[in-house]
Amino acid sequence: MRPRPIDAGNAAYLTLNTIVLGFLLAPLAIVAVFALNPTPYISFPPVGVSPRWFEKFFASTEFMNALWLSLRVAIIVLLLSTIIGAMCALALVRGHLPGATFLTAFFMSPLMLPAILTGLALFQVYLLAGIGRPVWGLVMGHTLIAVPYVLRTTLAVLHNFDTRIEEAAASLGASPARVFLEVTLPLIRPGVIAGGIFAFIVSFDQFPISLFLVLPKNETLPVVLFNYMKFDLDGAIAAASMVSIIMALGVVVLLEWLIGLRAYVKL
Amino acid sequence: MRSAQQLLAGGPSHRGTITPAAWLAAPALLLFVLFFILPFGIMSVMSFLTGNPINAPDVALTTRHYVRFFNDDLYTEALWATLRIGFLTALAALLIGYPLAHWMARMHSRVGHALLLMAVIAPMLTGIVVRTFAWMTLLQDKGVINTTLIALGWTDRPLKLMYNEFGTTVALVHIYVPFMVLTLTGVIGRIDERLEQAARNLGASRLRAFLEVTLPLSLPGIVAGSLLVFALAISAYVTPFLMGGTEVLTLPMLIYQQVSSSFNLNFAGALGVVLLAVSLLVVIAYNQVLAHLAGERELR
Repeated sequence: MRPRPIDAGNAAYLTLNTIVLGFLLAPLAIVAVFALNPTPYISFPPVGVSPRWFEKFFASTEFMNALWLSLRVAIIVLLLSTIIGAMCALALVRGHLPGATFLTAFFMSPLMLPAILTGLALFQVYLLAGIGRPVWGLVMGHTLIAVPYVLRTTLAVLHNFDTRIEEAAASLGASPARVFLEVTLPLIRPGVIAGGIFAFIVSFDQFPISLFLVLPKNETLPVVLFNYMKFDLDGAIAAASMVSIIMALGVVVLLEWLIGLRAYVKL
Repeated sequence: MRSAQQLLAGGPSHRGTITPAAWLAAPALLLFVLFFILPFGIMSVMSFLTGNPINAPDVALTTRHYVRFFNDDLYTEALWATLRIGFLTALAALLIGYPLAHWMARMHSRVGHALLLMAVIAPMLTGIVVRTFAWMTLLQDKGVINTTLIALGWTDRPLKLMYNEFGTTVALVHIYVPFMVLTLTGVIGRIDERLEQAARNLGASRLRAFLEVTLPLSLPGIVAGSLLVFALAISAYVTPFLMGGTEVLTLPMLIYQQVSSSFNLNFAGALGVVLLAVSLLVVIAYNQVLAHLAGERELR
């Protein structure tokens, strides 16, 4: 790589991109400022640094119950969607299914179709079936949205996969089960793990489906935050928001370290 | 390396009957039939019924919910507002996202590339409610931007930056621009950098080389990214609700209102079907572009 000469065009290009990066990241930074600013309402410029809002957040049973519900749901969604999504990816690549391209698009479609409609439709079905709004119903809604993420990352790994390694293992006398456990599974593991991480955070932050499927007094964290924000904007919201921001930053670092985010960009 | 489509089709060497591995799709299929196809089917049926078939035995088929939708300016205006916000969000996300995607695709340094990806994906994985909150603190009357402008003496009264379509669109652009950047980066990254270099060697300026070589070749990415952002923006609920105040009314807001305040599930279903129809068109077009891109890759 040769160093580029500094010229006006290049300077404009870099300035523009710095502004875009600022646009992307500044809103997250500003939330951190408000989470630490002790004034009773959101006000700028900040006057100091205090743990007051974090204390309020962690002392509030409403926020804590919501946080635990969100975490519990996200962990179950992680497990379910990882198993279902990874199996589905293997079937799509190895099953020789007719219309596999269409099926892939179909299994990916919850990502593009309005999640608020998935919420409405599930709400109607649960209502007509007379099952109300159980937590497992919420989990299934989240799993539906999370499976495409696992599918995508697992497919990405499978596409770079040389099937001759499996054929070699089989021709050396390994049983199909042993080939799967000792060859296939270790090779697809990074994609499956990455998908699981995405599934977890997608469920943790999921809003539109939860809006329809949670019961009052037993709401997930994003729904509690939203209801609180309709009436009041104070530092407690900023402190609660930091949970989501720190989790997102943690996930990004984890994914980069585990598989490299580059793998995710490939279509 | 074999392409996605070849692998999905089973590869040229093993084309043939379904293998036992196909059964691994069964749990996903079951999940999607029970919690996706069936609910959307029931929502569509509900939109053609006069009432709830469980507690009203005399329900009949009707198109009155659709007639009501298309005959009332309130509802058709909400449809237009939804499409308008979706279009503006996609356009702004393209203008903002393209330079960053180009930079990322042409970044040779591994560390630089990884850092840029983190900067794009971290906001994407932060909750929508949280990011909307961030924009409220920036754009409200006593928010960061207005306070700063007043302190600098550039304006006496706070500018009306939110509780309108402008604020809604700004926040939506922030929320969905990562999808644009990731789509474009993938496409621009596959354009051979030497093409642009060759144009420059032949005397084209950097801008002209970009406009005449890279930009046209990245057109499928532009279309795919814009369709994706459009589809996501028209289904947004939180952001128009909180950023739009009383001035913005979109289809997703109407849908939730019909369920939570009016409890009219049939009309909510009809509104849902209208939104679904728009989304399906966008999804089909998006998949066409992706298939086109995959086909191109196969030629290499």
